[in-house]
Amino acid sequence: MTRYIVKRLGTSLVTLLFVILLTFVLMHSVPGGPFAQEKEAPPEVLDALNAKYHLDQPLVVQFFEYLGGLLRFELGPSFKYTGRTVNDFIVNGAPFSMRLGLITLVFVLIAAIPMGILAARRNGRWPDAVVMIIATLGITIPSFVAAAGLMYVFAYRLNWVPTFGLDKPTSYILPVLALGGYSLSFLARLMRSSLLEVMGQDYIRTARAKGLSEVRVITRHALRNAIIPVLTVLGPTVAGLLTGSFVIEKIFAIPGMGSYFVDSVTQRDYTTIMGMTTFYAAFLITMVFVVDLFYRLVDPRIELG
Amino acid sequence: MAAGDTSTGRRDAATVSDWDLLAADRLRAQAVPRPGRSFWQDVWSRFISRRMAVFGAVILILIALLAVFGPSLTGRSYNRQESSLANIPPVLSATEFAGQANWFYVNPSLKVIEVTPDGHLVRQVPQVSDDMLTKRAIFEADGTAVQLDYSRQPPVLLGADGQPGERTHLVWNADYRLGTDALGRDVLTRTFYGARISLAVALVATLVNALIGIIYGGVSGYVGGAVDTVMMRIVDIINTIPLALYVILVKVVLGSGGFSSIVIALASVYWVDMARVVRGQALSLKNQEFVLAARTIGSPPGAILRRHILPNALGPIIVTGTMLIPSAIFIEAFLSFIGIGIAPPMASLGTMANDALATLRSSPYQLLAPTATICLIMFAFNFVGDGLRDALDPKLRA
Repeated sequence: MTRYIVKRLGTSLVTLLFVILLTFVLMHSVPGGPFAQEKEAPPEVLDALNAKYHLDQPLVVQFFEYLGGLLRFELGPSFKYTGRTVNDFIVNGAPFSMRLGLITLVFVLIAAIPMGILAARRNGRWPDAVVMIIATLGITIPSFVAAAGLMYVFAYRLNWVPTFGLDKPTSYILPVLALGGYSLSFLARLMRSSLLEVMGQDYIRTARAKGLSEVRVITRHALRNAIIPVLTVLGPTVAGLLTGSFVIEKIFAIPGMGSYFVDSVTQRDYTTIMGMTTFYAAFLITMVFVVDLFYRLVDPRIELG
Repeated sequence: MAAGDTSTGRRDAATVSDWDLLAADRLRAQAVPRPGRSFWQDVWSRFISRRMAVFGAVILILIALLAVFGPSLTGRSYNRQESSLANIPPVLSATEFAGQANWFYVNPSLKVIEVTPDGHLVRQVPQVSDDMLTKRAIFEADGTAVQLDYSRQPPVLLGADGQPGERTHLVWNADYRLGTDALGRDVLTRTFYGARISLAVALVATLVNALIGIIYGGVSGYVGGAVDTVMMRIVDIINTIPLALYVILVKVVLGSGGFSSIVIALASVYWVDMARVVRGQALSLKNQEFVLAARTIGSPPGAILRRHILPNALGPIIVTGTMLIPSAIFIEAFLSFIGIGIAPPMASLGTMANDALATLRSSPYQLLAPTATICLIMFAFNFVGDGLRDALDPKLRA
């Protein structure tokens, strides 16, 4: 186990390093540099700016300075908002994104798994059809379309929930539905197909032959195996939900990390783009790593190594 | 001779001598009763028997035809603005006044539009005066005045005498079938252009997957060893960054180049999933006997890949492709929606949806056209994809 963890940590770090290098090179190959604007600044000003942000030094030096900052969890200053750092954006945005993401995650899990089980148990009958229709809708309708549609019907027309912000408990309903729609559908479908496959296995027949109740057969025998494919895709799902979808935050005017990221892209705030990307990548790699470990704990047959 | 054959031979010996001619009907048992069907004929018949898949394919063909020929049918362009005719819905509620041939419609920004009874828009009626205190605006139409009382919700049109109009009619907008947007552009024409962009992105995604993904994955899987390790590590790194993020990064580097930069961004990373699938196929196929046979007769690696491995991996390749295409369409719409995709005034379904969001409360029809179109495209691709998956490999059926 320890050897596996160390090995996985090593490859994760190497991957992260490459991601940082890639973003760094991409951001420094932008023509014109970060301070190029429609109105040409005097060369002295540009020189001063470059010197202030150490942009006058060789790229290699800059890269290692950036890496050194990352080791101290410093993502550098914002190029567009003087006096603010990328850390500020993350510290300001993360609580909103994380809270919305966590609620969505809980909602997705407590909805998708029972939906999948129900569809598999009633395979071919109407509950299955209903779940599959919902799942197909959730997978094909883009999140921004769902968000806009939900907002028009439930916030504008019916006036049941607020249109923006996260001030009241009810204001979470629409963003959670729009953000979780895809994952919910995907996980429900996955749960259904994997449970269907497991239910055809010999050991399920054995469990039934022993006279176990159907509930015990499913909870004790079938689910333990059927849940594994769901756990596999959970890593990227968790990371995606917690870091927040740009679109959902934009439509519902939620001041999360996604909205800062979109702002930084439209404003061409290079350090913020770089820092946010690094943060997202690190978060994603960590989540995949954690879920991977967890998944090996659930299923002892999976070889470590 | 195999054991099974001898036992049947012995049983036959009781009735028929080994040296007798076989009866005519036993000869016929060996014949193939129907003409053989190739794999692709099987696939075709399985695909055609799935109603939803055929329906999806028909929808896609229709959308493609409209995207190509639609703009010339409407005769309008995506960027022509008619600001006097902004925010006009597809169905107008027009007020008729005694003695006036034409009817009048009030749009959400309180402009009065003159409409003919058969639904053609004549012009925006010029405003003469606006009394903020009584909340009444006077408009001058063909010598007679029309008053707009906007103290009430919704605003009411009154005649010159201050009386309400004779009656209101619901008429179809005959000039702009799906209405106009906030800048007075034709929503229908813009939807056609948006669909064009979506399908162009689908085409690019297909080409990129076919050209780079398949070759990359094939080489990586077939050559194997250190080459495979390095090539797959590159894929892993690209895969670590969420795809949308990477496309954003590439777009930032290229500048706001509109469609071409989206194409380059997609082209540079969008092949990795396909590469993984093809690599997996190549790994499992390269150890099979027919590849060994091809190697024995001296086929060069390129020919083995092209003539033996890829044709056998075609099922998974097509299935992966049909899953990747809708997600490419989604990425373009998503980027345009958050404002870093197609640059205005070009119409993309994403930018149209974003523009419509600003006027959602007063003009919801503007959101309906682009979102319904993108949903239709996504549904159609998904149904076709499911149908192809079942037709190519019934075992994969979920």
